[in-house]
Amino acid sequence: MGRYVVRRVIQAIPVILGATFLIYALVFLLPGDPIQALAGEKRADPTVVAMLHDRYHLDDPFFVQYWHYLIGLFQGDFGEDYRGHAVVDVMTRAFPYTINLALMALGVEMVIGVVAGVVAALRRGRFIDNLVLISTLMVISIPTFVIGFVLQLLLGVKLNTDYGIDFFPVSFNEDAGFRAYLLPAYVLASTSLAYIARLTRTSLIEVMRADYVRTAVAKGLSPLRVVVRHGLRNALIPIVTFLGMDLGSLMGGAVITEGIFNIPGIGHQLFQSVYLRERTIVVGVVSALVLVYLFTNLVVDLLYAVLDPRIRYE
Amino acid sequence: MRLTKTMRLTATAACAALAISACSTGGDGKKASDQASGGSGKTGGSISIESGEPQNGLVPQNTAESEGSQVEYALFAGLVDYDPKTSAPRLSVAESIETPDSKVWTIKLKDGYTFHNGEKVTAQSFVDAWNWGADQTNAAQALPFFDKIEGSEELAPGKDKTPTAKQLKGLKVVDDKTFTVTLKDPFSQFKTMLGYNAFYPLPKAFFNDPKAFGDNPIGNGPFQMDGPWQHNSQIKVKRYDKFPGKKAKLDSVTFKIYDKLETSYNDLRADNIQITNKLPISAMSTVSQEFGDRYIYKPESGVGYIGFPIATNPAFAKPELRKAISMAIDREAITKTIFSGTRKPADDFISPIIPGYRQGALGEAAKYNPAKAKELYAQSGGLPGNKLEIGYNADGGHKEWIEAVGNQLKNNLGLDVTFKPFEKFGKILDALGKKEYSGAFRMAWQMDYPSIEDYLRPIFSKIAIENGSNYGGYVNEDFESLLAKADSAKTEEEGLKLYQQADDVLIKDLPYIPVYTYMTSGAYTKGVKNVVIDSQNRIDLAGVELA
Repeated sequence: MGRYVVRRVIQAIPVILGATFLIYALVFLLPGDPIQALAGEKRADPTVVAMLHDRYHLDDPFFVQYWHYLIGLFQGDFGEDYRGHAVVDVMTRAFPYTINLALMALGVEMVIGVVAGVVAALRRGRFIDNLVLISTLMVISIPTFVIGFVLQLLLGVKLNTDYGIDFFPVSFNEDAGFRAYLLPAYVLASTSLAYIARLTRTSLIEVMRADYVRTAVAKGLSPLRVVVRHGLRNALIPIVTFLGMDLGSLMGGAVITEGIFNIPGIGHQLFQSVYLRERTIVVGVVSALVLVYLFTNLVVDLLYAVLDPRIRYE
Repeated sequence: MRLTKTMRLTATAACAALAISACSTGGDGKKASDQASGGSGKTGGSISIESGEPQNGLVPQNTAESEGSQVEYALFAGLVDYDPKTSAPRLSVAESIETPDSKVWTIKLKDGYTFHNGEKVTAQSFVDAWNWGADQTNAAQALPFFDKIEGSEELAPGKDKTPTAKQLKGLKVVDDKTFTVTLKDPFSQFKTMLGYNAFYPLPKAFFNDPKAFGDNPIGNGPFQMDGPWQHNSQIKVKRYDKFPGKKAKLDSVTFKIYDKLETSYNDLRADNIQITNKLPISAMSTVSQEFGDRYIYKPESGVGYIGFPIATNPAFAKPELRKAISMAIDREAITKTIFSGTRKPADDFISPIIPGYRQGALGEAAKYNPAKAKELYAQSGGLPGNKLEIGYNADGGHKEWIEAVGNQLKNNLGLDVTFKPFEKFGKILDALGKKEYSGAFRMAWQMDYPSIEDYLRPIFSKIAIENGSNYGGYVNEDFESLLAKADSAKTEEEGLKLYQQADDVLIKDLPYIPVYTYMTSGAYTKGVKNVVIDSQNRIDLAGVELA
């Protein structure tokens, strides 16, 4: 097991390098001068532009610029953006918000999604099953930003102005604590939540037909024990895979949700940085997201072994 | 949404509880006003207002965008500021600003101004700040603002050259309270320039660590920082009690940083922020019903044009042709239907909020008259092949109105109009600068300081071809000599008249066609009053009070 983990970690190095290179190249190819972006809709003064181009090696060819970046990276220096902020500072400031949001969304997905799926599976073909089917279909087919704005308007603004209930903050507000994440986490989780419900339902229905479940029922085990220990445990494998992959996309996909609810997280930062052509920040953030993907994948693979002892790595 | 009886009761109880606990933190505007007896305002209280993330550190000499200037407007006090109604300069930190010839200016400071760390504001504080801004090694955004001062070329010799001086020759400290500024050429509008944030003073602490200063600036204005800037989240300021000028009424203001205007508007409606000076387009149809007379709607400084590369494309050489195009554009329809009233038809090269603006100055040229336009177009000889290309930058929401203009020209003049989108504003500027693009183009101008001169020289003068925004390459010697005359005028009024004559030259020549002026649209909640937005789209926060 230990050797397996080490091998996986070493494998991650070329992936990271490749990712930074690709992203750097892509951002480099974006049209528009980042220094002009600093001056907004005005023409930046030519002397200022020249000075800043010089400072950030912007007139060098692509490979020279990338080389400068890589050298810095190996010295543990992620560089700074064109406004003089260290990329590391920018990331350590933004990531906690996104991690909170993503974990909360993951929690929402897991609890609501799995419960809805289990209920639908156990009451197959009945009213509740159809209800889950229809409501998940609806959630999947409505774009996230629509769900976001509607919930913000109804629960944030209307509930406050019309009924004086100030429970859901309209936009992110540090003082509101976990409440500030409730709506955005639900919005962020909504699509995946629907998939999880569907996935759980299908997977559990299949497992419940298996011989060992029949055996467990025949042994006289309580229905709860049968469903949770023998059914769900085996049905969870595809769901864990999905959840693991999803954590990465939740963090990356927070661009829209963080925008709507004004959370100063990584999605927010990424959007701004792409717009302002802040290469170093885009590359840093996306590489960090790649790391998250790699790490969650590893955790998922290890979790298999816990869920199903027949799967072991060596 | 339906509520049961008990839910209603709970809601009311919650409401009352909120009202009681209100007057403590930010976001209490509405609740505070519930208890106020109306009538006169009161000192104290906290509000939040909408902001975006400032682009650079909060160093006045390195700020060229509106978000940062709004915060700096609260933190700093300049030599002059501007009357929010007329935009005329008023003395602020300066006791007097005098000149015999518009070339050498003597500036005397008032007593009692201090930086928020206690350091006295002296003549040296201004001189040091300006020297820093004028030095190209600091690459400050405001660099070009100092090029009127004698010796600026030694500090900013240009690309690949090293400055040969550290101080502007034209700045001389006479004593603690007095300094003189010598300009290269007379400039009657210099006093008006001095309210711009590039000319704010800086304390000694700045020069030790400009970067740290940018996150936690020390100003000399009515408000001081209340903790460092929390990036992408908020900037908090509180009243500076030792401010000798017009003291702030509020205890503190939070600049809440938003990414989307829809979100900030929702927060305004829920009374989580109290003032915004930017509304989303989606709010335009309902905001006046919702906010009544707390909805602010007035012209701001920006002007939108259709420009022509006169110097590179001889097809555009004739003024009659440009006038014909101008008259074939239905400005009223464009501002109403495309911009939902967020713009107004332009009728002068000068923005309506600037001293010297004359209503209807453009005359016939700005009046929609397709028949006359067609006639004029034929007289002028027309465009080769009746073809017209209009370029615009695709990143600024210009597609719709440019296409509308194109369609109007198609219908009214029978032109074959094509469009050329550029990905970014910078790209269109590059293409024009390198003479790679020779079609008509969309352009806009936002002033730096509220002077009529700022609508003329930076866009249409000869020197602006190299160093400014004269992308059309327009040259007219009459215009140049009138500008020079106006610059050396002895009084503001005399200068104004001469600048208006220069404006008349433009109106005759139409190097660009002014299409619309931008409008400020903002709103505030019941909890605040005295909300005034000035010509630079800044809220005068020192004057705001709880209602």
